[in-house]
Amino acid sequence: MNNITISVKGLSVSYERKMVLSNIYLDLEAGKICGVVGPNGAGKSTLFKAMLGLININTGSVLFNGEDIKKQRKKVVYVPQKNDVDWQFPATVFDIVMMGRYPHKKAFQRMNNEDRTIAMNALNEVGIEELKDRQIGELSGGQQQRVFLARALCQEADVFFLDEPFVGVDITTEEKIIQILKRLANEGKTLLVVHHDLSTVNNYFDKVILLNQRLVAYGDTETTFTEENIAKAYGGQLTILHKTGMIE
Amino acid sequence: MEQFTYFWEAFQDPWAQRALIASCLVGLMCGVLGCFIVLRNMALIGDALAHAILPGVVFAFVVVGQSVLAFFTGAVLAGLVTAIAITWIQHNVRTKNDAAIGIVFTAMFSIGVMGISAISRSGSGVHLDLKDFLFGNVLGVSNEDLYLTTGITIYVLFSIIAFYRYLFVTTFQPVIAETMGISVNTVHYFLMLLLSVAVVASLQTVGVILVVAMLITPASTALLLSDRLPWVLFISGIVGLISAIIGLTLAILIGTTPGPAIAVTATLIYFLAVFFSPKKGLVINYFRKRKQQQKIQLEDTLKQAFRLSEQGELTIDNLLAKLWFGKSTLNKHLSTLRSKAYMEQNKSELILTQSGKDVANKLVRAHRLWETYLVNKIGLSEEQIHEEAERYEHLLTDELLDEVDQTLGFPTTDPHGSPIPSKKGRPLFPLIKLEVFKNAKIAQKQMSEQITVKLWELGLLPNMTFSVQKVEQDFIEIRSENKHIKIPQELARKINIETLN
Repeated sequence: MNNITISVKGLSVSYERKMVLSNIYLDLEAGKICGVVGPNGAGKSTLFKAMLGLININTGSVLFNGEDIKKQRKKVVYVPQKNDVDWQFPATVFDIVMMGRYPHKKAFQRMNNEDRTIAMNALNEVGIEELKDRQIGELSGGQQQRVFLARALCQEADVFFLDEPFVGVDITTEEKIIQILKRLANEGKTLLVVHHDLSTVNNYFDKVILLNQRLVAYGDTETTFTEENIAKAYGGQLTILHKTGMIE
Repeated sequence: MEQFTYFWEAFQDPWAQRALIASCLVGLMCGVLGCFIVLRNMALIGDALAHAILPGVVFAFVVVGQSVLAFFTGAVLAGLVTAIAITWIQHNVRTKNDAAIGIVFTAMFSIGVMGISAISRSGSGVHLDLKDFLFGNVLGVSNEDLYLTTGITIYVLFSIIAFYRYLFVTTFQPVIAETMGISVNTVHYFLMLLLSVAVVASLQTVGVILVVAMLITPASTALLLSDRLPWVLFISGIVGLISAIIGLTLAILIGTTPGPAIAVTATLIYFLAVFFSPKKGLVINYFRKRKQQQKIQLEDTLKQAFRLSEQGELTIDNLLAKLWFGKSTLNKHLSTLRSKAYMEQNKSELILTQSGKDVANKLVRAHRLWETYLVNKIGLSEEQIHEEAERYEHLLTDELLDEVDQTLGFPTTDPHGSPIPSKKGRPLFPLIKLEVFKNAKIAQKQMSEQITVKLWELGLLPNMTFSVQKVEQDFIEIRSENKHIKIPQELARKINIETLN
């Protein structure tokens, strides 16, 4: 395996003495979309936060292109869940998307036309350019998710972390997002997506990480996303998943 | 006139001019800075910090004496001690966050008050008035004070403009700021520092107790008036400034304490915005709701009249029995319906006109389509849907209804089995229903102008004959005059055709 962009070695995280993630080893390649799947409380979001250097880790290391996250901030972008934001905030769609340009600017450098063009292109690609002057609270769930994706595109990063991007969005938006993610993968970006709808894993992801506090399985979706591995990750919850039709 | 002259003369005095300038600067600075305090839900901590600088000022007075610069240093140090103490408790002790703030600031404030009374009683000849610290003493502003206030205002405003991006992103979404390498903690403490110096500058104008009013009231006013942060900052600054001018003027005119007069003025402006904001005001909201209510009542009247007229029982009394509002309201709506030529009235006999029937038909269609949608697509049960549909039939636009109609595959009956009226001009025979290799021609009449235009763009004119070549998943390929044309599925549903045998 060459083209390794992210390398996680022996990562462990605990909250107040309770182990949330233990001893995770991962090598992620460029040009692949990787789904992160596991039951509630499996530590999916924690894994993201730990890799992004947002929380303290107990042991282990995370390297992006061989370097610490602090030196790779510009290259790494995070699309968090859209529900922990104050959508009444006095900002327009365009204001939020322009945030994606901040890492490219020094403290007192002003935004120029090039930045604005990049922001408009991102808005165009996600298909909400006509909403650019709307206050963000006036958008539907799908449109709000598109705003966050447009901001991420604007940053022109190499590595994308997306936390549950398909939650609370309409089908058209879901299709649009996956189409953009596939385009990014084709251009050699590395994408990590926390996901909970098991029925779409095979269609959406090249690789899959099955997580339940430890790494249950990781590899190509076809060979890794097997009934046996899912059972290992979900344990007793599997019968419920069968009944609700989440998996076949 | 006499009062005006008095007022004019009053502002001729240097002390009054200094008071006016100081108040304006404080109003402007606190207004702008306050926006971030409000947006970060830090009103309580702002209040706490304002109270907590008191011991710093008192300590500075004991050590150095009446020196503005010393007050300033003491205040900033006290502010820092407070911020650190609060954070330490929040992180290391099992005490609720807001309780931690309350414990620290009341303690600091009390120490300050005790210090002031101790100095006053010591008989050292100096007079330190507690009231001046609590409510300000703007009429006693010296030139030295004014320089400092000006300096602080410039510093605070410049900092906010220079670090606008950092303040914006850390306030809106701290986690994103962190991933961009912006330290949320550094920005937080920087804002605390700005807050401390702003409080010192406000000490003489409004005092420690009322400074929080200058921070949160104009900012909350501005947030009711605009949806864009740069505008919110600007409006808030102006509101602070205007409050200062009006408040001080009032105080001089009626001879009261300026600080509280400024705070009360800011509150009055706030309530003006609460009621009269053009987008978010209570008044406009009331009228919006009332207009919606009126529309619903009118449409329900029309719909019930339509149903009754189908049964041949359309009278005012029968109509009244079906509706949920009284006779006087009904009469008002009947006269509206008459003026729109939807209805004719012959004493107590009511007659629906054709255009009235068309509009009623549309409402029935909306209601039944929405019920079908709720059952088929959302999965609600038949008992749950009627009320929902009753509400939504008034809100659905024509375009949305067509979309719903199409998504459902043009149903003919609703979940209760009642027929869904078809839209006027809806394809009697849409292209999508034509089988492969069958011949047909484009109908003269299409559902809408848009469809005709789209057909024209594809090179298809009315009465042109064609045959279907193949049906793919997302398009239908037809042949017309030796040209092969691909028509998207969605469009094919809307094209009206006539079959040829």
